[in-house]
Amino acid sequence: MINAERISQMSHRIFNTSLNEKKTIRENSNNPFAGSKFQKNILTVDTFESSRNNEVKFTGNNITQSTKRIYSTFVGSINDFCKRFYNGIESIKEFGNRMKDGIVSMWNKVQDFGNQEVHPIEGIKNGLNDIKNILSYDVSSLIDTHVRKVNKLSKLDPQTVIKPMFVESLKALEEDLAVAA
Amino acid sequence: MNNTEIKTNKNYNRIVDIVDSLIINPNPEAIDVLEEIGTNSSIDEVRELTAKALVKRNETKSLSIVISQKGKGINDMSTVVAMSTINCLLSLEDKQEAMKILEETIASEDLAEDVIENARSVRALMNLSF
Repeated sequence: MINAERISQMSHRIFNTSLNEKKTIRENSNNPFAGSKFQKNILTVDTFESSRNNEVKFTGNNITQSTKRIYSTFVGSINDFCKRFYNGIESIKEFGNRMKDGIVSMWNKVQDFGNQEVHPIEGIKNGLNDIKNILSYDVSSLIDTHVRKVNKLSKLDPQTVIKPMFVESLKALEEDLAVAA
Repeated sequence: MNNTEIKTNKNYNRIVDIVDSLIINPNPEAIDVLEEIGTNSSIDEVRELTAKALVKRNETKSLSIVISQKGKGINDMSTVVAMSTINCLLSLEDKQEAMKILEETIASEDLAEDVIENARSVRALMNLSF
């Protein structure tokens, strides 16, 4: 019964707006829309509700204004979740497409390889040649102790450090030559 | 101990490391060490190494030692040392400084005749090698 009355009031308001609006000019109004939105036409009924009215029950199901806000937030979050879920599905689709492309290209390579007629002994020979080539790389330059020693010695002072070392080594060499003779 | 045996000697290899380091040592005193110890050594191989190192430094002071000083570098009593030094001079990419020292040596009146004669011979070879 109460609901029926409210519906009738609402319809009255909707279809007879001019009856419910007063053209008034308020000075020092704290209405945030006073200057612009409604051109100083103030809606008298239920337009701006005070915070006290938040606890007013809307329906017979005991849903308050704050509960409604929480529900709307929840619904918004569901919408965001749906968007994220949709984006996730899109990324899965892209990943699948990439996988498919990769498999196709690999399949083509395998087919190309299969089309080449390789004699087994020739294949082994080629493999051995590859190993030989790898082993014949000049890696001595990477582990050359002489270059490392020279670079290290070149940073030392010639008179105080290198000269005594030179004299000592020369003396040892002369001794070795004397022993050998 | 022959030439091959000496080059496998541990102490000789240590001298090689030291002399090679003195080639690239930025300190100019490295030339003094090479002159004082290396060029006065009684071992031909060490003198040869030292003379080559002085040529490779390619500086006025180091080239003067191997070109203008009696008994050192191109004027060494050992033919092997003298020929190795000449060969190293001919192998230089930038021969400008060496040619300048050779010209000064040839023009000098204070130096021994055999030193001037050697410098003249090396200059002729250097001119051919350009």
